Amino acid sequence: MRQSLEELIACHQKSLYTAAFSVCRNVDDANDVVQDTFIQYYTSKKQFRDKEHLKAWLLRVAINRARDISRSFWKRNRISIEECMEEIPFENQEEHDLLETVMKLPEKYREVIHLYYYEELSVKEISEILRITEGSVKMRLSRGRKFLRDVVKEEES
Amino acid sequence: MMDKEQYKKTFDTVASFGMEPLEVRRIMKNSRKHAYMNKIAAAAAVVAVLAGSTGVAYAANVGGIQRTLQLWLHGDQTNAELVINENGEYSAVYQLEDGSTETRSGGGIAIEADGTERPLTEEEIMAQLFMPEVEYKDDGTVWVYYYDQKIDVTDLFEDGVCYVKLVNGDETLYMTIEYDNGYSVSSDKYPEPESFN
Repeated sequence: MRQSLEELIACHQKSLYTAAFSVCRNVDDANDVVQDTFIQYYTSKKQFRDKEHLKAWLLRVAINRARDISRSFWKRNRISIEECMEEIPFENQEEHDLLETVMKLPEKYREVIHLYYYEELSVKEISEILRITEGSVKMRLSRGRKFLRDVVKEEES
Repeated sequence: MMDKEQYKKTFDTVASFGMEPLEVRRIMKNSRKHAYMNKIAAAAAVVAVLAGSTGVAYAANVGGIQRTLQLWLHGDQTNAELVINENGEYSAVYQLEDGSTETRSGGGIAIEADGTERPLTEEEIMAQLFMPEVEYKDDGTVWVYYYDQKIDVTDLFEDGVCYVKLVNGDETLYMTIEYDNGYSVSSDKYPEPESFN
């Protein structure tokens, strides 16, 4: 099955944007990733089993693209995550602190944490999107959580 | 320690701050080179597709096209209501056995050799609608459906990839399926799994 671009944008833009942001940590790059992902869909002849399969594919494409951008040598005049966070209108300090802490995680933990906490995907689904074993997903989730706890403890002390 | 709700709320705030509105037309424009190649292949299958759709009631409305057509669904024919808008996007709505309805949608623009853009024609859209499908059944078998053909390809997979030649009248399609991970067709040769995944 295929879906029209209009439907895809309505259903998945936010998911792709937040996934890309969690990897790139940059607003402009995240927007570029989303557009590139929809272009890749539009130019691909790929057929999908169902909506879940399509969403998983879009997330994989977006995360891979976000990795490419964040590792690219040619970087634009990006604003840092710290500067960006000063402008985001968080509703409370907790939101600010949560994002700040998550953004300190190494990239491979951020990806897994995001798919688990934001997309509410299972370990199996995450392993398929990232093409890693379920054991690796569990390990990254566990280490990511431990890292978050350590950061919080460190800041409290 | 954070919970899912708190995490989602935080990232929703992030999205509401920086996410830019996207325009379908802009995406289509930026994908022009690839779109051209894709749509040429689709157009090649047009004649056979139209010959296969019988009993068509046709009505044109303002700014688009609406018609009833017979769609192949898992090897069986079913009536569908097809609507094509002026941007070349379509939706085909049909009823399932349990009375519920499903929609297939897609379409868009084609880029001519000289770089000009145009909406997909009705014929090109029909070609998209009659592309083969793959189903993974609960019993572990894998099936390909193409017009009235139902092909069990379960045992044709080697190293997770299966190649199937599909023939309908004068039309031949070469189909490559990557197990549980998508498929692609071409009228020339079997697509490489890397080309679509």
